[in-house]
Amino acid sequence: MKKILLASVLGLSIASAGLVEDAAKLDVKKVCDVKANGAAKVLAVAKKFNPEAIKLGVEFKRLGIRNKLYVKAVEEAIKAKKKEVVIKYTVKKKDKVKKFPLDYAAWRTCTFAVRALQLHKEADKTWRLAVPGDGYKF
Amino acid sequence: MKKKIIASLLLGSFALLSANSFSTQADKDRKALQAYFEKKFADRKNASTYFPYSTKDELDNNFKWGIKGDEFRLGSYAFDKGGRAQHDEMMDMPPFEDNIDNGKELYEKTPGMKKCFPNPAIAGDYPKFVKGKGVVTISDAIVSCAKDNKQKGWKLTKGKTADLEAYFANASKEKGKKINVVINSKEAAAAYERGKKEYYTQRGYLELSCATCHVQGAGQRVRNDILSPLFGHTTHFPVYRLKWQGLGTLERRIKGCNKNQGETPHKPGSTWTKELIYFMGYMSNGLPVDGPDIRK
Repeated sequence: MKKILLASVLGLSIASAGLVEDAAKLDVKKVCDVKANGAAKVLAVAKKFNPEAIKLGVEFKRLGIRNKLYVKAVEEAIKAKKKEVVIKYTVKKKDKVKKFPLDYAAWRTCTFAVRALQLHKEADKTWRLAVPGDGYKF
Repeated sequence: MKKKIIASLLLGSFALLSANSFSTQADKDRKALQAYFEKKFADRKNASTYFPYSTKDELDNNFKWGIKGDEFRLGSYAFDKGGRAQHDEMMDMPPFEDNIDNGKELYEKTPGMKKCFPNPAIAGDYPKFVKGKGVVTISDAIVSCAKDNKQKGWKLTKGKTADLEAYFANASKEKGKKINVVINSKEAAAAYERGKKEYYTQRGYLELSCATCHVQGAGQRVRNDILSPLFGHTTHFPVYRLKWQGLGTLERRIKGCNKNQGETPHKPGSTWTKELIYFMGYMSNGLPVDGPDIRK
């Protein structure tokens, strides 16, 4: 039982590290270019990486909107063949709605998903550079 | 008998040595941080290095220079003369006085509270690392105590918890207590290190770390506010914020900061938040407890 549990934990860690490594290798400008790739492909990139960002506690959020809401709204717009994305969200228990052009929302959700994981990976090398008495000289 | 005494002494010394050895790195970090801030605010001559965007007028007239040690308990008001003047005016009639009174009443009337906290002057002793539980902040300890005694409506961020914390902080301040966060085990040292890493990690779509504003950025202006320093941050909580129009805990403030970084904020009771507070608390070790206080 212990071995199974250990193997599962190890498996999950490897899968997690794998996604971070995959994201780190990407050129965000290229993979999230909606004109070159189409909104559906760009959304697929966001759908692949954003759940990992949530799991690691590094998901991006802007003006009260979590990236997972962009993913959901873009997916709904593509299914409904609409050029406008409608995002419903809550700020301090108040319901709000924002509308964005599809291309913009798809680009945003993709860059947020990939960049969150890239930043997470970069932090391993960069965080000490800001510590006084360690990497930060004054 | 002699043997027993010697054995106890040896055991005691070993325990003391061990406790010290667990905090060796943290002590180095705290000393370096203090040295950094004292150098940064030592002299007008350093201004071009540390405050490249500040105007000559700000540097000549609004900055107080030559700040040392305990003065940092005041946060940005240690060096921001304009902010300090406004703060002192508000302190003529502190808006949190009712919160302290309410906290005292809650302490006396809430079942089990006196048993959980026999001495109210304990604000400087938190957060603590408890084996099996991990980091326990003062808000955690209060909410857990209330829950254990079947009390409802206690949050980690504001309300009754913040009021009781205000009473504890005030009692600690009156008794001249200092921040005294302890790292007493390998696990505690690991929690401290994780908190430290998170503090210095860039996060969110703005790619800001906590340190961007509160270490390297401390003293610089964001819109019309002067950023406060990490050294001394935890001394004055809970704070009455004008933005909140009420009192809030350190957990509440951190949630706001985390949101401002452009990240989905971590929950106030999460391990992430607790370990961050553990690191921040240790960085203010030795400074006098100065809460509750007012902030913008």
